[in-house]
Amino acid sequence: MSLYDKRRAETRRAASIFLAPVIILMLIYIAYPIYDSFNISFFRWNGITAGRAFIGIQNWLDLMRDSSFWASFKNNVVIMILSIVIQIPIGLALATFLDFGGKKLNVFKVIWFVPLLMSSVAVGFLFRYALATNGGLISTIFGWFGGGNIDLLGDPNRALLTVIMVICWQFIPFYMVYFMAAYTNISFDIYEASIIDGATRGQYFLNIALPLLTPAMKSAAILSMVGSLKYFDLIYVMTGGGPGTSTELMATYMYKQSFKNFNMGYGSTVACGMFILISLMALITMRLLNSGKED
Amino acid sequence: MKSQRLIAMAITAVTALSMTAGCAGGAGSTSGGGTDTNTADTNAATEAPAVESSESKEIIFWNIAVESPDKEIISYAVDQFNANTTSGYTVTQIPTQNDTYKEKLVIAMSSGECPDIYTSWSGGPMNEYIEAGFAQPIDDLVNASDIKDKLMEAAWAQGQYKGKQYSVPTYNISISGVFYNKEMFDKYGLKVPNSVSELEAICDTLVENGITPFALANASKWTGSMYFMSLATRFDGLEPFNAAADGSGSFEDESYVYAGEKIQEWVGKKYFPDGVNSLSEDDGQAKQLMYQEKAAMLLCGSWYTGTFQTDSPEFYEKIGWFSFPAVDGSSSDPSIQIGTIGDQFLQFNITGDKLAAAFEMATYYSSDDAIKLMVDSGKIPPVKNIADLVTDPVTKDILDACLNASSTQLWYDQYLPPAVAEVHKDTSQELFGLTMTPQEANAKLQEAMQSYLADK
Repeated sequence: MSLYDKRRAETRRAASIFLAPVIILMLIYIAYPIYDSFNISFFRWNGITAGRAFIGIQNWLDLMRDSSFWASFKNNVVIMILSIVIQIPIGLALATFLDFGGKKLNVFKVIWFVPLLMSSVAVGFLFRYALATNGGLISTIFGWFGGGNIDLLGDPNRALLTVIMVICWQFIPFYMVYFMAAYTNISFDIYEASIIDGATRGQYFLNIALPLLTPAMKSAAILSMVGSLKYFDLIYVMTGGGPGTSTELMATYMYKQSFKNFNMGYGSTVACGMFILISLMALITMRLLNSGKED
Repeated sequence: MKSQRLIAMAITAVTALSMTAGCAGGAGSTSGGGTDTNTADTNAATEAPAVESSESKEIIFWNIAVESPDKEIISYAVDQFNANTTSGYTVTQIPTQNDTYKEKLVIAMSSGECPDIYTSWSGGPMNEYIEAGFAQPIDDLVNASDIKDKLMEAAWAQGQYKGKQYSVPTYNISISGVFYNKEMFDKYGLKVPNSVSELEAICDTLVENGITPFALANASKWTGSMYFMSLATRFDGLEPFNAAADGSGSFEDESYVYAGEKIQEWVGKKYFPDGVNSLSEDDGQAKQLMYQEKAAMLLCGSWYTGTFQTDSPEFYEKIGWFSFPAVDGSSSDPSIQIGTIGDQFLQFNITGDKLAAAFEMATYYSSDDAIKLMVDSGKIPPVKNIADLVTDPVTKDILDACLNASSTQLWYDQYLPPAVAEVHKDTSQELFGLTMTPQEANAKLQEAMQSYLADK
């Protein structure tokens, strides 16, 4: 017994030594900044002066009433819904195609994966040129068929949709790989058994593979949801939230407030508001998705 | 199932956290840096930074000179200083692209990493930097130096705040005006306009001939602001703006309604390129339209002379310039110019010997050789004898407009406090996108101005 205790104590010590670096880093770079953002959100502070004025919950009251913030939240929700609706089915379709096709389709696997390898900033610049109204790819192609220039990023009614399409272009490969990994988790025996029992490929996919992939789809949906709610880089590069505020997201709004408007206190409030909103939505969604499973 | 759920939960938690950590990271380190400078500023500004300066003999100089000819001009003084100085210091310069620079500087300051010398456009942001203690007064150094009498009074005045000199003007007088393609004007029998209605007649002729009248890349927002400022100023002079900015007037004044309505009328008449709000100034999409001869005019800052000259000396031959024409029937003085006298102002975030060394570097910008280099590359350095130095015909026109101006107004987006300036740029972009009426846009701007004045 004493040997067992000794071993446990040793394991604990070893574990704490191994965990220490991670925990320290997480405390410094995650826990403390979150605490400090909440702290700053109670001050009026331009971000560069030494003094800050404590103003209680004034920033939070402003945030509740700030129509710009809620408009950007709405844009985030649009991105979220369309991302889930577009990215996951297409990702699943590509993964299914590759899974059924086997080795001879490896070429597609590589080509389709490429967008994910590029940095968002590069993707943003690439599409800014490709979608340019004068001399861009889309406008030029339309020109061949006698159409005029198409203003995709400068028209407030189209800009958000255009950017969403680019986001999908970039992230569909991620879900493709995600579902391909999920497919490898389905034992080959199951496939064989279903074929022996006379199932067609379509039946196998609908009645066997799909139910087995549901857990993967759920976590993919949550990933996509959180990803779209905190989205920043591509929008910042492509439109900067414009034209006007038609593609403004919570994260770009936060950035604008903090670093362009010299309004760090309020910017921190926006960041904390995002944190609360995203956590709440993620928790509720997870609850909803898993509720069916409990009984 | 349980483990799946756990994994999902863990992933969510980590992604959600990393988001806030990313943005709060800047803010977090801010407080640390802020307190450092805190002690330095509140006391007589000499003590704390002096300790720092004895540690390092390197002076860090941030600027926006990434492209020719600015690159050569900025480097000139730095190289001269490093080669000739006896102060024992060396200057290292770090250039950053224009729009990125403004944000990079704020982030650096908020984390206590403010460079020793940095450039600004003066106006509202400069005042914020000074208020925050990131600039030192240099009156003594200026008074002792021979560049005090060399540079224009107006240029020095633009670098002052609350009666003290904080900034050194450097290399360019820039005013807003219209560059036009002379060949195209000849081809269609057009003449330089004296009134807005004449300008509109020119635009109509150009549109009929399939040419875009104005090259404008308004994704950058401040570019469209040029039209707003010019129209409002020509409608009723500078009084409405000064009143609106100090709170005694309003941005809902009729001159801003006029500016907004004109812009929207012009958008409707196709005076601007398709997708104007998606074109980016930083990517050079406005000047490309000029080079491709798809557009005939460009209303922008006069720094464009240097840009045209560097990009294509042949194309520059075709370029002419005129000041924005008068509004028909307005009594406003059409000689008023909008722009900056001595653009790129240097602020110094150091003290003692190091400040003296940095100032010595800044004086090289006013040396005869540097001035010659500036003039040769199409700049208009803010020196008193500038009229004798300029020979280039376009630059001469611009200079005449400057020297004859009854007054000069700094760019709105630089003069206004940053939070209001951002709203101004957003609303002027909305005007071009026809997504707001002039009344809505002006009301929004006025609201931002009022909330700034209320917080002050």
